[in-house]
Amino acid sequence: MIEIYLCDDEDAVRHQIQKALEWKIFVENYDMKVVQSAASARELLDAVENGRRGIYFLDVELKDEKWDGFRLGCELRRRDPHGTLVYITSYGDLAWRTFQYHLEAFDYIVKGPEPIGPAAAQCLEEIHARLLEEHQDPAEMFTLRIGEMVRHVPMRDILFFETASAPHHVFLHTSGSRMDFLGSLKELETQLGDSFIRTHRAYLVAADKIEAVDLKHNKLWAGGRECLISRAGKAKLRKKLGGDR
Amino acid sequence: MELSFSNLFVGYLDYLTGNFALGIYLLAVTDERAVLRRLKKFLPLFLFPIIEILLVIGMYSVPELRRFQYYILSFIILLMCTFWARWAWQFGFWQALAATCMAGIFQVCESTLSRVLIWENTLDESTPFAVVMLLYLGISMAAVLLLYRLQFGRWFRLLLDSKSAVRRTAFLLFALEVVMEMLLRMVFGVKPQFLGFYYVVVAVMVIMTAMLMVYLAQRFDAARKMQAQQDVIAQQRLYEQDLEAIRREVRTFRHDYKNLLAGLAQQAGEGELEGLCHTLSELDAGFDQRLGKKIQASTQIGNLQIPEVRSLLLSKLTAMREKGVECRLEVLYPVTAVDMDVWDFVRCLGILTDNAWEAALDLEEPWVEIVLLAQEGRVFLRVSNSYTNTIEPGNMWNDGWSTKGTGRGLGLSSYQRILEGYPNTSHGTSWENGVFVQELTVEGRL
Repeated sequence: MIEIYLCDDEDAVRHQIQKALEWKIFVENYDMKVVQSAASARELLDAVENGRRGIYFLDVELKDEKWDGFRLGCELRRRDPHGTLVYITSYGDLAWRTFQYHLEAFDYIVKGPEPIGPAAAQCLEEIHARLLEEHQDPAEMFTLRIGEMVRHVPMRDILFFETASAPHHVFLHTSGSRMDFLGSLKELETQLGDSFIRTHRAYLVAADKIEAVDLKHNKLWAGGRECLISRAGKAKLRKKLGGDR
Repeated sequence: MELSFSNLFVGYLDYLTGNFALGIYLLAVTDERAVLRRLKKFLPLFLFPIIEILLVIGMYSVPELRRFQYYILSFIILLMCTFWARWAWQFGFWQALAATCMAGIFQVCESTLSRVLIWENTLDESTPFAVVMLLYLGISMAAVLLLYRLQFGRWFRLLLDSKSAVRRTAFLLFALEVVMEMLLRMVFGVKPQFLGFYYVVVAVMVIMTAMLMVYLAQRFDAARKMQAQQDVIAQQRLYEQDLEAIRREVRTFRHDYKNLLAGLAQQAGEGELEGLCHTLSELDAGFDQRLGKKIQASTQIGNLQIPEVRSLLLSKLTAMREKGVECRLEVLYPVTAVDMDVWDFVRCLGILTDNAWEAALDLEEPWVEIVLLAQEGRVFLRVSNSYTNTIEPGNMWNDGWSTKGTGRGLGLSSYQRILEGYPNTSHGTSWENGVFVQELTVEGRL
């Protein structure tokens, strides 16, 4: 069962949403339940357990010195990295992109003159649909930390890792991005195991992403990008690619 | 002169030492932080002495040139080193010339002053050449460390990086370098009892040169800050005009609002529920459309509390508006400090926004999104834009790469170069589904 948490300091709004959600769950027979409907961030945080994949409806404009919607979202992300966050706001001009990028917030609904219930129910339907199609096992994701922010990159998207010019920094290359984070190839090599080959002091390449190898010029290509091969790397490559054939 | 192999070899090492010393001084002068990476580009220096020796031999065959041989050779070496510096540091010609002349002045001064050792009888003809060479490089190293310590390069770099001052600086330094070379040659004409004075004169001259450079850089910096402050004031005025526009809008809105309320009251009295709901949503939409956006923009800008950053973003936003680029700025929490040099941060931000809107312009409905988030001393920046061009991930970070053709894309590589000096930064790039994203995280050093 998926737990739903609600936090809004306006009682009327909170009750509307709770009713709408419960009705939706009953009609559609979702495996979900509204377990907490809190008027303050404190109350909500006391109820939330670590690591459950919950759904959270949070007010952006909480009247609390310490907790506003964004900070509350950060804390919830820390406790529940794979949960779903939905925000409730009275302004259409919310800094929505910030919520999207940093908290991977799913959606927001606007308190307006019209009742907010239907919007919340609609949102729940979308969440349900997404949870159904999402079969990605967290184990198949590579987690990288940039400051406090945590990014999940699907393992199958990774082309290779490369040491960056700044000390202790590593680049992660995928077909559509290059990200810089703190780490070492040595640790990554042991962490990632056999599917990656250390072809060079500065390169750790996904074995199944290698497109072409030029042993004469000590180069190989993964996702159209050039990587280097060292003498030791050559031996490893031969063993790996030869063994596969 | 005898053309024996060992003579040639000593000559080679002699020139090599000189070139290397110049190279090391260049590191200090340009305030290089990624020293190891730059050292890799020192390889061609091993080739230069061969060219120099060939030149010397060539000039010996023309007797008229012998008197000027030293100057011609020095000039050619200077030019070669300038072009080398241009390549190794990716400088423009004037930058490279100014930097090389400055390094040259230090190196020539060292050559002159190291004669003190011969004068004091510490070294003589019998000292093995390797010892002399190592001693010479050792002194260079010590001098370079001192220069780093005194942060000479940081100031000098300011002069190098300015567009207006660099050519003047290059000319000035070239003249001083010529004078230094002449002084070096004059040592052969100085009577032994005046040698002490002579060395003092040389030392004072080079110190004065260095101080002059720092003074010029400081003056230049002050002028630049002054200019920036004027920009800030100008931008602030624009901002105030925006606020004034909002105030006017609020007044007219209040007027409309009264009318709408009157209408509402009437509808409520007549029990027209449908009409009531319609008018209410009109009211809500009207507010968001007319004021919401403007208020959003001004709060975001108000949250930028670093004047330099605010002024830069305001000017970029204005430029984008003029070009018809839809721009969205989000600054959720006040940004009060960034844990890197503010001007470096401004340069990074400038490069990213310029790249973003230039690339976005290729589309019919160009847009750019800038998100700045400050949290517990950490600042996160994300600049994204729409694009249509093909991206070449293999070349993107190389000098001069740009979707607009060669020679335009110096931005990304200098962006990278700035960040190399800050280990507390991380940057990421992604390009998917027609959206190009640049992210930069600056950690606070607690």
